[in-house]
Amino acid sequence: MKICITIGWWPVKLIACLKRTDWSAKIPLRRHSCKTNGIEMTTRLMTPTSLATVVLLAACGMAETGSTVYGDELTLSDTTLVSAILANPADYIGERVLVTGTVVEVCEMRGCWLELGSDKEFEKIRVKVEDGVIVFPMSARGQRAVVEGIVEEVALSLEEAIEQAKHHAEEYGLEFDPASITGPTTYYQLRGIGAVIDN
Amino acid sequence: MATRRFKWRKWNNIIHRDLGYLCVGLTVVYAVSGVAVNHIRDWNPNFKITSIASNIGPVTAIDLSSPGAIDDMLARVGETGSLRSMFRPDPDSLQLFMDDGTVVYVELSSGAVLRESVKSRVLLREANFLHLNHARRLWTFAADVYAVALVILAVTGLFVLKGRKGITGRGAWLTGAGILVPVIFLWLYL
Repeated sequence: MKICITIGWWPVKLIACLKRTDWSAKIPLRRHSCKTNGIEMTTRLMTPTSLATVVLLAACGMAETGSTVYGDELTLSDTTLVSAILANPADYIGERVLVTGTVVEVCEMRGCWLELGSDKEFEKIRVKVEDGVIVFPMSARGQRAVVEGIVEEVALSLEEAIEQAKHHAEEYGLEFDPASITGPTTYYQLRGIGAVIDN
Repeated sequence: MATRRFKWRKWNNIIHRDLGYLCVGLTVVYAVSGVAVNHIRDWNPNFKITSIASNIGPVTAIDLSSPGAIDDMLARVGETGSLRSMFRPDPDSLQLFMDDGTVVYVELSSGAVLRESVKSRVLLREANFLHLNHARRLWTFAADVYAVALVILAVTGLFVLKGRKGITGRGAWLTGAGILVPVIFLWLYL
């Protein structure tokens, strides 16, 4: 007598995979058991669904342990130092650059910006992306990131500077004193086009 | 020869009923997420952020450069996870990023520590992900189909009943009242 059993729990594994939980357990297999002269022999073969599951799980595994792409694919290969941009921002305005660094802050509410630590101490640069087009997760904090974007100058009037500082304080739940902003400000940031962040 | 009349109301009701069943799941997703993101100024709809403040006493530059200083600092704030990376935003501050996503902010001169842990809001974050179309690609198409289905549901809903409780009776008043709601708010705010 020959018994064939297909273990049909691959959807469970799929859900586990999508939820990025442990997927390292068994792979669904088709079990072939046959009993000859009272001796039971069992073999396990991979079914087409199992094979598809393995490929999917492997892909998810890579995504979890590798990196995630946000926005467009990166097109540049040569990186520019964040410190070089911050030292001479005027030389880079409007330039498309590729920078790398540690993600040190992420917009808590919308994931619409992140801050990248510079190669020099006490420096960082903001990467602003269009709301909803690219959404950076808070889990990116502390991770290595490669970001491509266009350097831009943001010049704020006194009123705009106060408004932005107020918004920033709200985001961080800090108290805000408008008197702390004394005049117009200018800062430099990257308009983010694409990013690859380690998982 | 008798001609068979097309029973449009019967088909209207069938479409309304079956489309209604199909749309239940997504309607719940959009409704729950809608409430969540409506109040984005008051709370974070995607993450639960817990901050615990403490003080480990002043940390000097010499203390910081000594071997094991970071491990000691983490132990004093009760952090047992492994360190992912660190950053110095300014000479008086230190940020320690842990593998589980926790961030420890230290003000070196005062020793004030803020330990911030972030947890994803289960299901709500996923609902927001779909509602705000962060998925993009094929989901954009699926969401468009859902939007069209909602319009069909609304229109077919008008004609489910006939008579006094239908669109020629009470239905007309209620439909009118429903249309007035956005009109009144637009009149108030614009």
